[in-house]
Amino acid sequence: MNAMKAAITAAVTDIVYRSCLYLDNGNWGEFLNLCDDSMIYSIKAYSVEIRRDMEYLSHNKKELGTLTEMLPKLNSDHSPLRRHASVYTVDIGEDGETATAVTSLAVYQNMHDGINSHIDSGETRLFLVGKYLDKFKISGESALLIEREVRLDTRRLDKGTHHLI
Amino acid sequence: MSAKNHKQWKIPAFEQGDYVDSRIYSDQNIFDEEQDKIFKQVWIPVCHESELPEAYDFRTTSIAKEPIIVVRGKDNEVRAFLNVCPHRGMRIERRTAGSFSDGQPSGNPKHMTCMFHAWQFDMKGNCVDIPRAKEGYQDRLTKENVGLRRLRCEVRFGGFVWVTLNDKVEQDLEAWADGAFECIRSAIDTEPLEVFHYHKAIIDSNYKLWHDTNSEFYHDYMHYHNRVTGFNDEYFARTNKGFKNGHVNVNSFTVQYGEFELGESREDLSFPGFPPNQWYMIDLFPGMNFNLRGSALRCDIVTPLGPNKVMIEFRGLGLKSDSQKDRKTRIEHHNSIWGPFGRNLHEDLLGITGQGASMQTGSEPRRILHGRHENNLIHDEIGMRHFYDEWSKWMGRNPSDPMDEQRKVLAAE
Ligand code: FES
Ligand SMILES: [Fe+2]
Repeated sequence: MNAMKAAITAAVTDIVYRSCLYLDNGNWGEFLNLCDDSMIYSIKAYSVEIRRDMEYLSHNKKELGTLTEMLPKLNSDHSPLRRHASVYTVDIGEDGETATAVTSLAVYQNMHDGINSHIDSGETRLFLVGKYLDKFKISGESALLIEREVRLDTRRLDKGTHHLI
Repeated sequence: MSAKNHKQWKIPAFEQGDYVDSRIYSDQNIFDEEQDKIFKQVWIPVCHESELPEAYDFRTTSIAKEPIIVVRGKDNEVRAFLNVCPHRGMRIERRTAGSFSDGQPSGNPKHMTCMFHAWQFDMKGNCVDIPRAKEGYQDRLTKENVGLRRLRCEVRFGGFVWVTLNDKVEQDLEAWADGAFECIRSAIDTEPLEVFHYHKAIIDSNYKLWHDTNSEFYHDYMHYHNRVTGFNDEYFARTNKGFKNGHVNVNSFTVQYGEFELGESREDLSFPGFPPNQWYMIDLFPGMNFNLRGSALRCDIVTPLGPNKVMIEFRGLGLKSDSQKDRKTRIEHHNSIWGPFGRNLHEDLLGITGQGASMQTGSEPRRILHGRHENNLIHDEIGMRHFYDEWSKWMGRNPSDPMDEQRKVLAAE
């Protein structure tokens, strides 16, 4: 059983880190391949100003596909986002069919345009910090994402972004 | 003639009023004057009453650098004060929101307490305790002499809390708005609203550039979402209407939300008496925007921080009576367009960021064109021109000639 647990933990950790690389590189299709058809993605934050939990974005897998395919039609910042993640915990459900993971996340923005590209390009800025709260479906020793909540600590997002976090 | 030198470039065949001088967006003196002559004089919405739902709840904010606290008394009345202690000027409450029901390390429950020397105030702004007052002040000063500085405050137009620093404000809020809200009055005033979304952006740009963006629809070309859901005969028939005091509204049309790949019709969820899938827009002088679009109300409030820096607070609202399911739908509809990860807001903010980059303090004065005339129809820039007519009255400056240079040249000729 311990070997099984270790294998599942490794599979979950691998998916979290792979998801970061795929999202960094804009490989949306590869990211979606890590997700089960029942995947729900959301970005949430607690506002101390209105003292409420807020949901900034929420999409199922199909909508995520549509959203990412649409990106070339939208005007956006040219500065790519890069993640730094540490998987803090992986917990496997008692039935061995689900798992959850908590990952600490920092997202940096490598400025290509910024305010004035002549001056800002080349700089790296902290874009946001938060956590990935992930849920997985386990079959055997492999895992698929069924839920990702991006829980933001940063709430001042200034220009924002069209990209997934 | 194609490319032009600076002198040529400045002179399109436009009348004054059809352009403004870019220095109104970048000059430090003009910015300082605006704070005194406009922002300290007029009504400003600072928060929504649903952010302080219970007695003893508070919310802190600011206008023109003056810190403000809004509190709800046990009589349910919402009042506003300067968030400044009359003793030695400490900011009384430091949190952004919360409740005075519970005590603080140096304060009793149900009081506002300045942590510095523990002067205490009630929800009406009366000073109710000065520690060792008699010993230090004898009879020269008592708690009766030193309340908080009370500010004029009204809760109106969908439950927003409006404050003015001007004790002598001439018009009450209803008169100040001059009917600009009538087009959505029943939608927002039939039953209580509730805030479900808040986020802020601080952008290196002038606050008026944000208000300009909210006042002109010509930039819908920038938004893929708006091109596919709008841009039909009904859209191009929308009109801008000016009101007294520099306010403008834009009447509605039926948005074709279903035309957007990620969209769905919003006809099942609206506001009281408000036909489905409609979109009204109200721009209030000197920089507030109310946007009722389908199932959600959005409100933008600007806080100018410098000639080239503005904070914009974004709120989303639904009905207080919403079921959980309806609320979730409203939130999705709101944030898919207007959230920090939404389709349109990011693009709008990129727009004014780019303008801010080209209009920094000291940059070459330019003419910024506001000269589209199209019978007040949707892409007519009457909204901006109406705003600057009003700005001119408050500032005593001509926005096309803010440094009085053209007039002097003409007078000399
Ligand atoms: S400054 Fe407030 S009690 Fe002294
Ligand atoms: Fe826009």
